[in-house]
Amino acid sequence: MKLLKNEIDFRKLVRTEILFMPLLIVLPLVVGFFLIHDWYTRGFLMGNFEYTAQLFFGLIIIIGNIAFDIPFIKSIRELSKKKMK
Amino acid sequence: MVEVVKKLKETKKKIDSIDFDAHWYRRVFHAFGASFLFYYMLPNEDWINVLKFWIPPAILAFALILEILRLKGKISSQHFFGLRFYEKNRIGSYVFFAFAILILLRFFPQQIAIPCILCACISDPVMGEFRIHYDIKYVYIIGFLLSMSFFMIACYKADIFIMFLISIIGAAGAVIGETKKFWWLDDDFMIQMVPAILLLIIWIALPYFGISIPQENIIYPGLMPW
Repeated sequence: MKLLKNEIDFRKLVRTEILFMPLLIVLPLVVGFFLIHDWYTRGFLMGNFEYTAQLFFGLIIIIGNIAFDIPFIKSIRELSKKKMK
Repeated sequence: MVEVVKKLKETKKKIDSIDFDAHWYRRVFHAFGASFLFYYMLPNEDWINVLKFWIPPAILAFALILEILRLKGKISSQHFFGLRFYEKNRIGSYVFFAFAILILLRFFPQQIAIPCILCACISDPVMGEFRIHYDIKYVYIIGFLLSMSFFMIACYKADIFIMFLISIIGAAGAVIGETKKFWWLDDDFMIQMVPAILLLIIWIALPYFGISIPQENIIYPGLMPW
């Protein structure tokens, strides 16, 4: 996968990706937890099975995002360390 | 004043020292798309319904304007992190991604829209990662099984035959959508719309054969605290 990144002078960039980063990481986790919380309060505690899919989709969103967040954050740390050297 | 300037310079240096791997940035951006399922959780209040109606197309219009300005050279491509080479002279794939999500949220039932969105947000980056490390046939198998599981969860209230029918066709559509790439139409759009259209045809056709499909929601609107 060839990315346009190679042509870019990072010093000239307005670092839009930095502004997005907290949103990219935090929002999906919040949505995932919200789905699970809703399943717990309106489904599990009330004995209502209508909310079961919310539990699974909440888990999928959280696991799916964490699976990509970890290598992403690792890559930031590694690249930043290299740059600092 | 000198202190402020010094602090600003230090902050800028720190920000400049942060470097991103564009590959993983794109993966995270994909997974982030699952956040749009929050749309279904918003309460059914009048003013919220107005926001639900206008905000998604407004976001898409904003992205489209940015892309048009980029393609016309008014905004430098340098401001768009993680673009691929083939996107340099074409609308970025994130616009196709958002456009497909908007269509699904607006015009498709939840049972179709939710798994199709998750196919683009989760299956697509997972398949992309597997493509780097494994043979292509394993990529298709993993993509198919993962997508199938999303459709199965979405149709868990249906009869077992309907559940498998919808899951197999939906997952096959997602894998086909992912593999088909056109210069003018991105796979981020195809992976969502191919299974959605296939399933919509089934959705409309099945009642004519006397087979009922569960129409209940999967994600329920939240309740206002007041």
